[in-house]
Amino acid sequence: MESEESISKLLRLKRYEQPRPDYFEDFLAEFQLRQRAEVIHRPFWNIACDRFSSLFAPIPVPRLVTASSFAVAVIAAGVTLQWSGNETADAPAKWNLSSAAQTRLGSAQSAFTKPGKRVSSVQYVLPTRPIGYASAHSF
Amino acid sequence: MDTPETPDSELVSRTQAGDARAFDELVVRFSPRLYGLIYNMTASHEDTNDLLQDIFAKAYRSINGFQGKSAFYTWMHTIAVNMTINFLKKRNRRKTMSLDDVDNGILTDPDFIKATSNGDPSHDANLVELQKKLNESMLKLSHEHRAVVTMFDIQGMPHAEIAKILKISEGTVRSRLFYAHRQLQNHLQEFMKH
Repeated sequence: MESEESISKLLRLKRYEQPRPDYFEDFLAEFQLRQRAEVIHRPFWNIACDRFSSLFAPIPVPRLVTASSFAVAVIAAGVTLQWSGNETADAPAKWNLSSAAQTRLGSAQSAFTKPGKRVSSVQYVLPTRPIGYASAHSF
Repeated sequence: MDTPETPDSELVSRTQAGDARAFDELVVRFSPRLYGLIYNMTASHEDTNDLLQDIFAKAYRSINGFQGKSAFYTWMHTIAVNMTINFLKKRNRRKTMSLDDVDNGILTDPDFIKATSNGDPSHDANLVELQKKLNESMLKLSHEHRAVVTMFDIQGMPHAEIAKILKISEGTVRSRLFYAHRQLQNHLQEFMKH
């Protein structure tokens, strides 16, 4: 117990190890300078990240939720871009309702003419005249 | 400038609202105490200065995340201890001490002389040796043990406060202190006889 006390007494001597008296005045000035320098030299991604998170600043959203919603948004954007890219590659140069109808009608007609082609594949073909012209209860 | 009576919580709220001067006041208020904490863990004034700058910069960047669940004092100390331990782990340095690490200013400090002098000239002449030995002994402790010894023995913080800062139980704080003291006793035996 006595040696424990002696150790504590010796360690308390280290309280006297202090920087020079004007150190703390200079410290604040140096801190402000560094802060300004940091603002000027911040990388673009860091600024973008801060701006994004500041959008959610007034709402008390946990950081994890913010990060995951950001990740979901990025993935969704990627998937959409990928999907629209495929769509553009597969689709004809100009698309409109009549051309789509013609394309499908053409394929349906060829299905009729081709021997051995299953007729059931025709049942999804768009009608040649607009649906709105037909009576709702005509069979 | 604010009066010293302005509570930390008010300065924090003002900083969160965009008042940078309120944070300056917090820097002025906390830097001496945090300096002592970091210096006694790193044993280098230069490293302490750099680390203290980084700690306040990090605190400023993350202050919107401070929700007041603990005291600002505890929050700042947690950042300081974690960053200092990370720094020490990265550096993994100072297997031996250099003479630069002995704080010469302390030897002329009247309070220090009064605290250590017992009228024996040979004892007074050993002040440099004592300080060197103290620093060496401290640096032989693990980072976690050094943090506990610094906060308890040097800064005089209670066990409960240290436990909150380190996010460990009070029992763990006590056991770390016990182990650290035993290690220090082995290194400082010759000085403890005086």
